[in-house]
Amino acid sequence: MSATGYDLPAQPAPGVRAWAQLTLAEMRSVVRDTSGLIVPIGMPSLFLLVQGFASSSEVVPGTGGRSVLELFVLPLMLVMVVALVGVVNMPSFLATYRKGGLLKRLAATPARPSMVLGAQVITSLAQTAVGVALAVGLAWGAFGLVGPERPWLAVAVFAAICASLYGCGLVVAAIAPTPNASVAIGLVVFFALGAVGGLFGGLQSLPDPIAAIGEWTPFGAGVVALQCAWVGEPVPAQSVIALVVTAVVGAAFAIRFFRWDR
Amino acid sequence: MLTAVEVRGLRRSYRGRTVLDGVDLTVAEGETLGILGHNGAGKTTLVETIAGLRRPSSGSVRVLGLDPQADRRRVRGVLGVQLQHAILHHDLTVRENLRLHRSFYRSGEDPDALIDRLGLADVRDVRFQRLSGGQAQRLSVAVALVGAPRIVILDELTTGLDPEGRRGIWRVVEDLQTRGVTILLVSHQMEEVERLCERVIVLDGGRIRAHGAPAALRSQTGTETLEDAFLALRSGAASEGSAA
Repeated sequence: MSATGYDLPAQPAPGVRAWAQLTLAEMRSVVRDTSGLIVPIGMPSLFLLVQGFASSSEVVPGTGGRSVLELFVLPLMLVMVVALVGVVNMPSFLATYRKGGLLKRLAATPARPSMVLGAQVITSLAQTAVGVALAVGLAWGAFGLVGPERPWLAVAVFAAICASLYGCGLVVAAIAPTPNASVAIGLVVFFALGAVGGLFGGLQSLPDPIAAIGEWTPFGAGVVALQCAWVGEPVPAQSVIALVVTAVVGAAFAIRFFRWDR
Repeated sequence: MLTAVEVRGLRRSYRGRTVLDGVDLTVAEGETLGILGHNGAGKTTLVETIAGLRRPSSGSVRVLGLDPQADRRRVRGVLGVQLQHAILHHDLTVRENLRLHRSFYRSGEDPDALIDRLGLADVRDVRFQRLSGGQAQRLSVAVALVGAPRIVILDELTTGLDPEGRRGIWRVVEDLQTRGVTILLVSHQMEEVERLCERVIVLDGGRIRAHGAPAALRSQTGTETLEDAFLALRSGAASEGSAA
């Protein structure tokens, strides 16, 4: 272990215990202030039930008995929920901490940006996973939803979608100075990704050049990948690359440009 | 004796306004330095720059020989900071907040023992948002000490505390002094500074207007109390400013 002339020992980075404590602190905060649970846990069920009642339950020919709901509505709704929570909802919590001075307090300790961002993502993902599982369960009960052809592939794709869209959200979380700025930036990013990713009528309704771009965005790539996983088709490599690259670049950017203070 | 904090030619400006204007300062290891100044004199900016929470516009800061910006982790590991405004996780209890902060350090104090020392035993399981101002302030001091720091920055240590609470905190600071901890104390409480600090600097307009032991400042200004000495130095600075 190296030391300076002041006998100052090298400081190892805060370890697993610190990561666990910070994540636990975030989880406790969320559970104790239940208003934060409404969007990630309530919204998926609301969207899926509304869309389930509105969409056709007819089976699409040549799809192995899959309905319009399963083929088109469900993937779109799930990606939309993850995008809304990851890009708009999750960053607003960190921006609130930043504005209130809590991040500045943490900046005075050996805690690192990656710990703060990681704790937020894990906490938010846990809520989203519960919300999505609840929504899919309700859709199964209400509309006779058939599960994915390859469940583990669907879970892996869903995890990649979460990583990718949370990667975009981390960028917003890292730099937005205030909660208002965070929501404003998050909504712009959400609608921009959604518009080119097929949120308004599907990728097939977009002009070809826009649809081609959309398939490289986390939203469009996520919808395509989830559709494929649900019906048991191979997931296109393009979608996987788009999701992984967005996740890695987003996280790296957020850690590099993280602001502790306003 | 080793130098704990060394500041050379420190300038810090915000949007064209100069907050610190060429501050030079040396604090020996184990010394307690009081930092006085009126509101807006640059006290908090000075200590937050020493803590590495703000970047200098120019000049240099060294904490135990290290740059707090470049050697962030190593400096944070030996520095405890009590910020002017006590902000912690609102929905966590006193004990949970303290355990969280303890986990960031390789070694440090036992959170429960610290809770007892700071008179927070009765509110150990109360959430931060439900604490009184004085209790939140004491928890903020506990958080600054939980990593067993070699240097502590205390910014308005006893603001919001009743006389009993104030004296209790002073005893905690005196205990740190006996253990050889270096302390930078920002305060408006002259009695506190006189009791705890071996040396004082008076900041005005981002510059050090006077420095020395409290008794030396009283003698220099021909006053009987540190408060009168501070006011005399302030009025002297104001008349210099108007003459200029």
